[in-house]
Amino acid sequence: MHTILMNLAVGFQTAFTFTNIVWVFVGGILGTVIGMLPGLGPATGVAILIPITFGMNPATALITMAAVYYGAMFGGSRASIMINTPGDASAIVSCFDGYPMTKAGKAGTALAISAIASFIGGMIGMIFLIFLSQPVASAALKFGPAEMFSLMLFALVATITLSEGNLLKGLFSIALGLMLSTIGIDALSGTMRFTYGLSSLQDGIDFLVIIIGVYAVTEVYKNLKSIDTVYKFDSKHIGKVWVTKDEFKQSFWPMLRSSPLGFVIGVLPGMGGTIATFMSYAMEKNISKHPEKFGKGTIEGLAAPEAANNACSCGALVPLLTLGIPGSGTTAVMLGALMLLGVRPGPTLFTDHPEIAWGVIASMLIGNIILVIINLPLAIPLVQLLRVPQRIMLPLIMGLGLIGTYFLNYSSSDLILVIIAGVVGFLFSILEVPLPPLVLALILGSTTEQSFRNSLVLSDGSPAIFFQKPISAVFIVLAAVSLAYALIKRKRQAAK
Amino acid sequence: MTTNFITGIISIALGLFYTITAMLLPRMAMGDKLGPKIFPYVVGTVAIITGIALILQDRNPAKKSKKAEFGFAKYKSVWIRIALISITGIIFGLVIDSVGYMISTAVFMFIVAILINKNRYVQNLIIALLFSIITYGVFAVALKLSLPRGFLEQMLPF
Repeated sequence: MHTILMNLAVGFQTAFTFTNIVWVFVGGILGTVIGMLPGLGPATGVAILIPITFGMNPATALITMAAVYYGAMFGGSRASIMINTPGDASAIVSCFDGYPMTKAGKAGTALAISAIASFIGGMIGMIFLIFLSQPVASAALKFGPAEMFSLMLFALVATITLSEGNLLKGLFSIALGLMLSTIGIDALSGTMRFTYGLSSLQDGIDFLVIIIGVYAVTEVYKNLKSIDTVYKFDSKHIGKVWVTKDEFKQSFWPMLRSSPLGFVIGVLPGMGGTIATFMSYAMEKNISKHPEKFGKGTIEGLAAPEAANNACSCGALVPLLTLGIPGSGTTAVMLGALMLLGVRPGPTLFTDHPEIAWGVIASMLIGNIILVIINLPLAIPLVQLLRVPQRIMLPLIMGLGLIGTYFLNYSSSDLILVIIAGVVGFLFSILEVPLPPLVLALILGSTTEQSFRNSLVLSDGSPAIFFQKPISAVFIVLAAVSLAYALIKRKRQAAK
Repeated sequence: MTTNFITGIISIALGLFYTITAMLLPRMAMGDKLGPKIFPYVVGTVAIITGIALILQDRNPAKKSKKAEFGFAKYKSVWIRIALISITGIIFGLVIDSVGYMISTAVFMFIVAILINKNRYVQNLIIALLFSIITYGVFAVALKLSLPRGFLEQMLPF
């Protein structure tokens, strides 16, 4: 307990400067704005805002990025509430009761409770994160290559088994991501692999380029079908962005119950905000005395998923910061941003660079507080941006995506790669091939391969090593169980 | 053709291509002989098996996936725009270093804006110019990133 508080104090020392606070404001507003845009989720927001941190010192950059990430989470549900168009899948549930509230003239209440619930969910999530990250990191420090490989295997398998959709297509997505990760010079032997004579492939494929491709360019292409949609809402009748005492009381327990649920789901790889929000909504509906009111604009129906979503995004930071494993598209982008700033998340981050690990955590806490301040009084001016038509937003997203890609390595071949990734991502969306597994496999690929080969060197080529080490065996069993669970679940769904 | 079938074919083709390329990698003279090849073999095999399984899954009528709807005819204008935006993006990549940041970005933005925001030439011109000037100001002047300098940038005092 004492060490945790000491560490947190170090984190606050890193985070709490005037410049940083200003950047938290700027990053928070920008993140909210982009997270809010219909059809574009937090992953896109973080991906295209990475360049604003260039030229900053690492601590400020990290804090700004954390604010962008958090802002995107806060902003995600604005479009659900105002225009019934979720920014991303985890904001779908917010439409269920958020939009009916707006139609009933209670948009102000909906915006307020969404910000308050996000804040409470985020705070509870952060507290869990603070107490959980150090023990997880210490445990992971003892991992040898065999344990590391099995953990990666479990993380990758869980990404496709715990999410919805076709398992085999998810597996294809993983295989493709792993293939891309092997391009370039092999770190263990120095052999040049899969470059096909192209010098620009020697250093491998920068996964941030692929991320911007599939989260910015692909999203622009997907939205081209709906560019003429004009979103209309009545800003005169939003009302006061605040909640009454009774409304707060009504939402209080749902928020408290949904936050731990969301956090736990966030920790598990592959189960992102979408599942957290749906589960918390179902839970509240089940235990409510008035389940018939759900879907018709009841305040609990909005408060619960909002709290769960932000708690979930804190939960997702546990595997991200302590193990270097992102659990979702948004955290994958966040990992990319961190690595670009020279921070390599993983068990050693907490021992070697505690000021950075705890600086991120402290800045998330500060960000959470500042964002609720931004999102209450500024809610009405911010939602006006929803009126900016898609046909003006999309060129800007495309432009920011492309110049952001160029700034990564000043490489013009990256611009070609980002376009290819965008087109492939668009084709995959038609074929219903999920993209997050590809991104995750590309990020985790080199660690997976190195730990796999190092294990085999240790065991003289015998794969039995993965089963002989107890922790490694546990992860393999977990991977098998999650696969079996997914197969059974899909069989049952097919039988229905 | 169904989505499973197309994905399956892509998976098999990529898996084969990848595995064969891995086989052609030079043998290691020393150290662990399978070294850089073993992991690609595993991944390539997984891709090929996944592809076959995807195609076989469609044989079961209950599990048959739906037809892939590319909508080339229905969304013809969308596909044309995607193709043109992509080509513009690639050309942007090819010329940015020689033409310089501001001009290439402004032209790129103008073309993309015209393709998405049709017929509003003045509005698009303003978007393109502002985007180029503001991003140059933020990144090259304020954040001091070294962006490609064409003749326009060289005339600037900063």
